[in-house]
Amino acid sequence: MSLALVAAVIVAGSIAGCLGSLLGIGGGVFLVPFLNVGLGLDFKIAMAISLMTVIATSSAVSAGTAGRQLINLRLGMLLEIASTAGGLLAGITVERLTSGALSLLFALVTAAIAVIMVSRLERRNVLDASENVGALGGRFYDEESGREVSYRVKRLPLAMFASLIAGSVSGALGIGGGILKVPVLNAWCGVPMRAAAATSALMIGVTAVSSVPLQYARGYVTPPLAAAAVLGVLVGSRGGFWFGGRARVKWLKLLMACVLFAVSSLYFIRALR
Amino acid sequence: MTNEAIDRLEVQLGRLLLGGVLSAASLLVVGLVMRVLNVAPAFAWFLLNAGLIVLMATPILRVLVSLVEYVRMRDWLFVLTTLAVLGVLCTSVMIALQQRTH
Repeated sequence: MSLALVAAVIVAGSIAGCLGSLLGIGGGVFLVPFLNVGLGLDFKIAMAISLMTVIATSSAVSAGTAGRQLINLRLGMLLEIASTAGGLLAGITVERLTSGALSLLFALVTAAIAVIMVSRLERRNVLDASENVGALGGRFYDEESGREVSYRVKRLPLAMFASLIAGSVSGALGIGGGILKVPVLNAWCGVPMRAAAATSALMIGVTAVSSVPLQYARGYVTPPLAAAAVLGVLVGSRGGFWFGGRARVKWLKLLMACVLFAVSSLYFIRALR
Repeated sequence: MTNEAIDRLEVQLGRLLLGGVLSAASLLVVGLVMRVLNVAPAFAWFLLNAGLIVLMATPILRVLVSLVEYVRMRDWLFVLTTLAVLGVLCTSVMIALQQRTH
């Protein structure tokens, strides 16, 4: 294992972590192509290392948001049944998939994410503070509007289904999967964007743990490279948060969509080769 | 269940996650530096793996702490929910351990 490779992975992790937190998603969707296409690591190794960084991102981000009532613990735990089940099944199945099939899946998922993002640029779900939020709803102080926000969870089966899909995608492709379920929670299930993002950030860690022990046992998690990626992502995501507080969400979403379309095309080409 | 109890749990879990990610990162930094400088390779390998295991164990601990808290709150629906999540995680760890011995 050369010093240059370790250094390259640290840099890749930092950039992915920075982009990920800037755009409000995990860095996995950038890290996997970096490691796989950029550094020429096998897709399964890239995916397994990325899953490790997903856990680190989840723990670090949730530690930062905890105490602001943004994380909906009960909704999160309920959805984690679906997301971990999906993660475990995908973790078992991924061993049997060829890298061509994985590339195609990666291309489809990134394209789908980009489309969802572009179609839902300005969506809000906010009730009056006095309303009854039900067993799964929540309320928090919204810094953007400067008032208390409450919400009720709608269409729970849909949220569970989205979590199952996000969990499977996470276990198969090594991304957090937050970008798949956050738009669903936000657009159709009544959860405000910031609460959906915070709850999802907590969920992706446990979801990754439903499949990453399998990859670790199979030897895909190369320890020095995984360490380099995790440390890079942790440092990079701090940087991204700092920029993120100073930028407009709408433009970030558009930027993210463009990047994802580019990544998607790259993987379509690889899948066809 | 009171909202205060769930808010307190959120803070408690936040501390746990912070502790987990910081310990993992410290182990990984030391392990990686030793690995790159080729100092005590076996120990460096141990530190790197220990760091990764602490990283993986942190979310599992988070679920365990939630379970204990939901039992204390007598919120049986969420005790069941948390047990289900724990069941999936245990299955994953068991399969992994089995694969490792083969």
